[in-house]
Amino acid sequence: MNGMSLRAASRRRPGLRFAALVAPGALFIVIGLMLPLLAIVVFSFWRTESYELYADWSLDNYRTLLGEAAYRTFFLRSLVTAILVTVICLVCGWPVAYFIARHGGRYRLLLVLLLAAPFFTGVILRIAALQGLLGPVGLINMGLTMVGLPPIEALMYTKLAAGLGLVYLFIPFMVTAIYLSLVNFNFELLEVAKINGARPWRAFIEITWPLNWIGTAIGMILVFIPCLANAVTPRFLGGPEATSLGMSLAGQFGETGTWALGSAMGVFLFAVSLLAIFCIAPTIRLKRSGFTGTSLT
Amino acid sequence: MKTRSLTRRSVLAGTAAAAGLAAFRPMAPFISNAEAAATKLRLLMWQPYAIKETIAEFESSTGASFSPTFFDGNSEAFNKMKVGGTKDFDIVQADGFWPRLYFRQGLTQAVDYAKLPNTKNVFPEFLPDKFTLLADEKGEHNVAAPNCWGGYGITVNTSKIAPEDVGSISLLLNEKYKGHFSSNSRFEENIAQMGILAATNLGTIDKPREDGQPFNPYHLTDAELAETKKLLIAQKKLLLTRYQDYDALDRLMRGGAIWAAPEFAETYRHLKVMRAEGKIDFDVQHVLKPKEGGLGWVDTWMISSGADSEQAELALKWINLYLSKENFARVVRSTGYGGTVDVRSLLKPEEIDLYFQEKSADASQLHMFDQPSSPEKWERIWSDVEAS
Repeated sequence: MNGMSLRAASRRRPGLRFAALVAPGALFIVIGLMLPLLAIVVFSFWRTESYELYADWSLDNYRTLLGEAAYRTFFLRSLVTAILVTVICLVCGWPVAYFIARHGGRYRLLLVLLLAAPFFTGVILRIAALQGLLGPVGLINMGLTMVGLPPIEALMYTKLAAGLGLVYLFIPFMVTAIYLSLVNFNFELLEVAKINGARPWRAFIEITWPLNWIGTAIGMILVFIPCLANAVTPRFLGGPEATSLGMSLAGQFGETGTWALGSAMGVFLFAVSLLAIFCIAPTIRLKRSGFTGTSLT
Repeated sequence: MKTRSLTRRSVLAGTAAAAGLAAFRPMAPFISNAEAAATKLRLLMWQPYAIKETIAEFESSTGASFSPTFFDGNSEAFNKMKVGGTKDFDIVQADGFWPRLYFRQGLTQAVDYAKLPNTKNVFPEFLPDKFTLLADEKGEHNVAAPNCWGGYGITVNTSKIAPEDVGSISLLLNEKYKGHFSSNSRFEENIAQMGILAATNLGTIDKPREDGQPFNPYHLTDAELAETKKLLIAQKKLLLTRYQDYDALDRLMRGGAIWAAPEFAETYRHLKVMRAEGKIDFDVQHVLKPKEGGLGWVDTWMISSGADSEQAELALKWINLYLSKENFARVVRSTGYGGTVDVRSLLKPEEIDLYFQEKSADASQLHMFDQPSSPEKWERIWSDVEAS
């Protein structure tokens, strides 16, 4: 078929044109996302022995993962950390997003872009910067020592330090998601509430919060899921007590070479992430959000 | 004389040609059979040993070109050789027990020491009759030539740690120094090093073993592993952190936060130089071989089984050149590793100390790095330690 007839065919059948547009992206998603995921699922039912994978199908890896106390501890550490970090990001991120959306004026875009500034560098560099701030020979503790005060041990390779690192890394996601929701929010509604006698706090609870729940929910998911699987931050900031499931998983694919167990961990984390999405999804009502173009129905 | 002017077009053309060459370079091992028609030595090696002065000397003396491919770990190189690499490389490097495995699997050929006159420069402790891992199990063939060595000893800030506490692995379990220890984040070295102490405590280190082999901290019995786990859990409570890289350990030791840490002597060498320059105000010591025993490695050169007689000759020329005293002084200065070649006559006294030239007897007695007998079992132990 020559170029002319192809063009004529696509004009006659818009579906063909749509398929041609969608195909490259869809193919990339299938090859780049689905196939590796499928491979991980398959490996999770296999067995590793001395750095070799054997296709002996069984549920042994899942039994080990759920049965061994060590892996349960890693998971609980990761889960508690992810929940706490999400809550902290939410509490700290909301006022910032609100301020930018409400009072940012013509600098709104600039302020949002500033939030992305840390992303101009790699994650390792950002963690190294935090090490330089929090560590025993970091800026804070060295400063305290220089003025004759004892260093803050809680900041030196602890779970708290890892948590602070995670908040620092993920708070921009939370602020951006909430901000994008707030820019579609009609702030005049708050004036109406005020005229009708609602106090600011009540207006926030009954109007601002529910109408921007979609942005909040997306922000929570964007923080919770990567925190749950995070390996780098606890590794560099957390110290020996902060080993997470993500760190253990990374080790299975790295030095220990126990790929099958690592795959089971990956599938487990994926399932927990899906569960989190399924739990939050029913609470979102698109018609009540600014994303549909309708503010209130 | 007419000269070509440098135009934007010529620059673009040159850049494109260079980019094209660079793009196809990673495929070099797979097209190198055809290329091998020209005299070329093809090496699968660790990058730090590709020293430009040595390469230049080799190329000018043999007329052959030097074509290296770099790798990180033994298993990576081994897998490359297994999947047809014997035809693509003339030389391959490995350490520890790997040379025997390569030879057993037919991936390498015997190394003719008679054609390596510079082995006369090697410390006797690193020649095959004493360092038996350079020969096959039966001792019939020499399977590799020695290169650099290193250890996984304990670097100590001697201004903080009492002299009577230095010299044993048990220092890392001394409550007196709680919060001032750090250890590597890699599970193998942690388990193997503490395994030596565990076997010493249990009294099994010198006892005959089921496999008939001498004690190997990478092949611990279940009882030794259980004791190792107990020791590692006790040690964990005393650690400030597990360092991820040498910069981190360096910083922590320099700042006085860490007083003792097992490491590959890189931090020790750096601190030692800083002390000499007056940049730090404390002394450091490196315990290469604690009284219970230590871990270490000896890098080697091997000749691929796919190298024909001409290529094997060329490979021997490279190894021989490498073992020359003049070159090895350059190698230890460039890499910072311990040398199996005696270059004391070419080094300054402080360099002799820094590069452990007087410690070759200790080095040859270290337990060589190996693969854990069961990575799965070791992974479980390590997870239990990390979760405790």
